[in-house]
Amino acid sequence: MALLEIQGLTKTFGGLTAIDDLSFRVEEGEILGLIGPNGAGKTTVFNCVSGFYEPTRGRLHFAGHDITGWAPHRICRLDMARTFQIVRTFSDLSVLENVMVGAFSRTGNRAQAERAARHVLGLTGLAAKAGVRGGSLTIADKKRLEMARALATKPRLLMLDEVMAGLNPTERQAAVELVRQVRAEGITILMVEHVMEVIMPISDRIVVLNYGRKIAEGRPETIARDDQVIAAYLGKKYRSRR
Amino acid sequence: MKKTTFTQRTIIALVLALALVIFPFIVSSPVTRNLMILIFLYAGLAQAWNIVGGFAGQVSLGNAIFFAAGGYTSTVLLQHATVSPWLGAIAGALLAMILALIVGWPVFRLGGHYFAIATIAIGEIALALMANWEAVGGARGLTIPFVRDGSGRPGDTWFWFQFNQNKLPYYFIALALMIILAGLTAWLDRNKPGFYFRAIKNDQDAARSLGVNVLRYKLLAFVLSAAFTALLGTFYAQYLLFIDPESMLALRLSILIALIAILGGVGTVWGPILGSFVLIPVGELSRAHLGGSGRAVDLIIYGALIVLISVFQPAGLMGLGRRLRGR
Amino acid sequence: METLLQAIASGVLIGLVYALISVGLSLIFGLMEIVNFAHGEFLMLAMFASFWFHLLWGLDPLVSLPLVAILLGLVGLVTNRLVIAQIIRAPMLAQIFATFGLGLFLRSLAQFLWTPDFRLIQNPWLSRLFGGRVEIVSGVFVGVPQVAAALLAAVAFAALYLFITRTKTGLALQAVAEDKETAALMGINSQRMFDLGWVLGSACVGIAGAALASFYYIYPEVGGTFALIAYVVVALGGFGSVPGALVAGLVVGLVEILSPVMLGIAPSLKYAVVFTVYLLVVLIRPQGLMGRF
Repeated sequence: MALLEIQGLTKTFGGLTAIDDLSFRVEEGEILGLIGPNGAGKTTVFNCVSGFYEPTRGRLHFAGHDITGWAPHRICRLDMARTFQIVRTFSDLSVLENVMVGAFSRTGNRAQAERAARHVLGLTGLAAKAGVRGGSLTIADKKRLEMARALATKPRLLMLDEVMAGLNPTERQAAVELVRQVRAEGITILMVEHVMEVIMPISDRIVVLNYGRKIAEGRPETIARDDQVIAAYLGKKYRSRR
Repeated sequence: MKKTTFTQRTIIALVLALALVIFPFIVSSPVTRNLMILIFLYAGLAQAWNIVGGFAGQVSLGNAIFFAAGGYTSTVLLQHATVSPWLGAIAGALLAMILALIVGWPVFRLGGHYFAIATIAIGEIALALMANWEAVGGARGLTIPFVRDGSGRPGDTWFWFQFNQNKLPYYFIALALMIILAGLTAWLDRNKPGFYFRAIKNDQDAARSLGVNVLRYKLLAFVLSAAFTALLGTFYAQYLLFIDPESMLALRLSILIALIAILGGVGTVWGPILGSFVLIPVGELSRAHLGGSGRAVDLIIYGALIVLISVFQPAGLMGLGRRLRGR
Repeated sequence: METLLQAIASGVLIGLVYALISVGLSLIFGLMEIVNFAHGEFLMLAMFASFWFHLLWGLDPLVSLPLVAILLGLVGLVTNRLVIAQIIRAPMLAQIFATFGLGLFLRSLAQFLWTPDFRLIQNPWLSRLFGGRVEIVSGVFVGVPQVAAALLAAVAFAALYLFITRTKTGLALQAVAEDKETAALMGINSQRMFDLGWVLGSACVGIAGAALASFYYIYPEVGGTFALIAYVVVALGGFGSVPGALVAGLVVGLVEILSPVMLGIAPSLKYAVVFTVYLLVVLIRPQGLMGRF
């Protein structure tokens, strides 16, 4: 059975339909990329799945549970974690403390949480900055921290919302490496991304959204050739590269 | 710059506590003793406020209702049911905790400014209600009669929580409460609840996504704050032997409590204590020398202080200390 | 029945004044997401200004009204530049306390300079007009100063509303309240709009204060209750909504005056009823009656 299953998801805000009858699955162990032009509804999907929005219609299944309408903290307890498009670091807390907040979801013991947090810091390359105040990090480090924090909750599914945005090529490479490492740990990843050069090579499968609807689904190579997708957004530039 | 370690700080705390224990035997002037008791009392109130306002970031401007809950409950139980104030204190704390849940559960859904205004509104409602409730003294308040000893003089009794001849026990009880609250705050600071409080203060939604049940923890902070504020309310009632709505429920009291914590440094363990040691003497002195005729000079100073702190040093004295040490 | 009509009349009249006092608060919040906790003290300053103009230079409050409005506009501007500008990016605690402290400072200063005594303007012109009272319906009397205050409030409110919705500057103000960044892209200077918001909001309070000075007791603590009512009105009407302030002002005025009559409770509890209504509304509909936040 799929780890995450989205069935007929629809989300309207007043008169605006942000997501329209969307269905897809995420299999355990894969990296699924979610792409689409600006405003296609990608972050809205995240917000619905992670419990920040209540779906207008449709059902969400995760790890065998029907999580439609559940509160965010409850979903996290089921082993789903997410990052945010605009980083939400706990500015007044140190890097270590930030990650410990995540670690505390697994234990009530301070020493244990600290150990788990340090472990994750090591994995994500932030160990040297453990004592630095969250608010004073660079954007790249903040994104890294947000991933570390989410990882500390030991999720089965990690949802990344545009982690590559605002990073220079070197930082991007490091982030890609990190994503690969996370998957190697056995964590399933659902990624929203704009940066094509990153998401196409790293994803096992891609789902393409446009105006809240799924217009294509499949392996990256297939997607890149799909006429509808190209028409929607890859544009003449990508096409001419074939 | 070297950051003081936890062990170092604990040692400093113990030394200071010891100094405060010895202090009254060195300086025995009643005026000083009274001042110290007030300092401990307000430090305690500020520390209790700090849990919900400083750590969890929920600005309550109505904590006075818990103060009154404590003071009034123990006094009413004493007068009508001859219950020892110690038991009354526990009853008061329980009532305060229930109040906190009733008030907090619906109101914590509101955002920052709404919450602050709601707590002001609740405080004002409480003040109006208590001032009109004749059964508990109304606007005139309640007086606790002296417990007299064999020769008819006001005496000292632990059971009835009155010390009229030798006021020293009041000093130690207030000190003990302050130290207990300091210990609690320090524990919270280092453990899961404190981490969750601070996460909520920094970014509620991010906290949610990490598994924090935001409402539950806000309520926890509020309930802890309420319980201790109520205990201090009972202490106050037994110390002054007189309570009335004006002295226990005025908005001014809620403001002062928060101000002390802010001056010292919100969200820190030492901040509220530091704030009280600075502000209370200043307040008492200015009231004694300048404010006598009801001309409110001490309030002018408070007001100006609040503005200056908020504008220039929101992290309070603790923040200033950190800056000076180069962190 | 007459008592009821009398109460309704009084409620509407005071409600309009409440609306005017509160609209400035709403405007400022809509622009900057800052609640001016010194708002009540601004009102108090306006009332004292009217009083001193009257006592020292014999100016009738109606005549000095424009002066007071301008004076308060200046106070608002100075407050914005000196205090608010420093805390606009500060944590909410600092923002709340900065204006709170300012209010406390102003109130205590007033008490120090002018004593806590209650003052009253003797025999203002309005109290002599038509013998000081008008009978709007048989048996229902209202004081001329009160009616005048309500009319002034209504006119000022209408003028403000027209300004915001019909003039270019007014629309710019709305734009900044809606979306500061995009407004900046359109060339709207948000700094200047903040200044304008404070000036307008404070001038409104100035007008309200000058109007009240004709019949209300003037003393340093007078701002306190009005301020609480203003917060309630703004939250009830919806932070940032100008029409909301009007509707909510009337609701609060009516609830305040009617509750002793209809609920048979002691008049000193009427504010408790107002605050309870506030809590109920805000819990059922957090964004207020007409708010956007």
